[in-house]
Amino acid sequence: MMLASMLVLLIVNPGAVLSEMISASTDALSLCIELCAVYAVWLGIMELVDASGLGEKLAKLLRPLIKKIFKVEDEQTQKLIALNVSANMLGLGNAATPMGIRSMQALDDGSGKANFAMIMLIVVNATSIQLLPTTVIGLRAAAGSTNPSDIILPTIIVTFITTVMGILLVHTINKLFKHKKRA
Amino acid sequence: MDVYILPVIFIALFIYCVIKRINTYDTFVKGAKGAIKLVVDIFPFIACILIAVALLRVSGITDFLASLLAPIFRALGIPPELVELVLLRPFTGSGSYGILENIFTTYGADSYISRCACVIMGCSETIFYVATVYISQTKVKKLLYAIPVALLCSLVGTILACLICKVM
Repeated sequence: MMLASMLVLLIVNPGAVLSEMISASTDALSLCIELCAVYAVWLGIMELVDASGLGEKLAKLLRPLIKKIFKVEDEQTQKLIALNVSANMLGLGNAATPMGIRSMQALDDGSGKANFAMIMLIVVNATSIQLLPTTVIGLRAAAGSTNPSDIILPTIIVTFITTVMGILLVHTINKLFKHKKRA
Repeated sequence: MDVYILPVIFIALFIYCVIKRINTYDTFVKGAKGAIKLVVDIFPFIACILIAVALLRVSGITDFLASLLAPIFRALGIPPELVELVLLRPFTGSGSYGILENIFTTYGADSYISRCACVIMGCSETIFYVATVYISQTKVKKLLYAIPVALLCSLVGTILACLICKVM
């Protein structure tokens, strides 16, 4: 993908290649500084959630669901996934990321290939059930909308459908794969 | 109303921690400490994906793809005005928020196009970004069918969003 873009740029505007790459890298750096601040707040909060035993309670609440969807038995991993999913539901994508990374590390089996639970976590994050699309509503209010939150209900309906669809698809494909291996 | 939700949750959490006799300061610091290492670890991956997206945009490939895909999108019920948003959404969060603001100013925040765009933003994620960052700290090199499934779900979500905004 990078190569193709560079080849096209070579013909269209060769002078722009390096400057564009550096400016994008600068964007990445400032994004990371911003993320570092955001993560510091959320990881601090999460540590409190964890230490107070609330994380455990949340995980217990979501455990049957997570067990069924992700087929994960390890309790620590279940807790990480529970926190990741709940942060996503609240529209806190940036708070979900550190928990997502940790869940992935916990799920990694070192085989170099994503396993069922990892794929499921990516798909569930991608379809991201959202109860409160906070950023979008904020932007829309700033743009002068008369009723900025009238998109909440449609958003919930659509994310619900796509998330269920994603979960079912991953389960079906996983079954097909297993079937092939046996045959 | 929305603005109260997080502060109330935070206050409740702190009170709960105090009741449980947890040293809130030390615990918070311990958690926050992990942020710097995490960001240092994921920076190269973020830089790489942002560079790729920037090159795609300035090379004009996205515009070309947008004009190429517009008829297909139209057939699926997605207005051509939303093609750029739909194409870039899987790659960049900040970039797609920029496009969203553009849509607001061009078509008005309460227009059908803007409402579709909002629902699309809500039901989709920066798939490539999330996948890259999430697996960056593992040994995984092959994601198998994760990305195709995620993209398919996003596309279905987009089509549904355009449909639902017509009636709601």
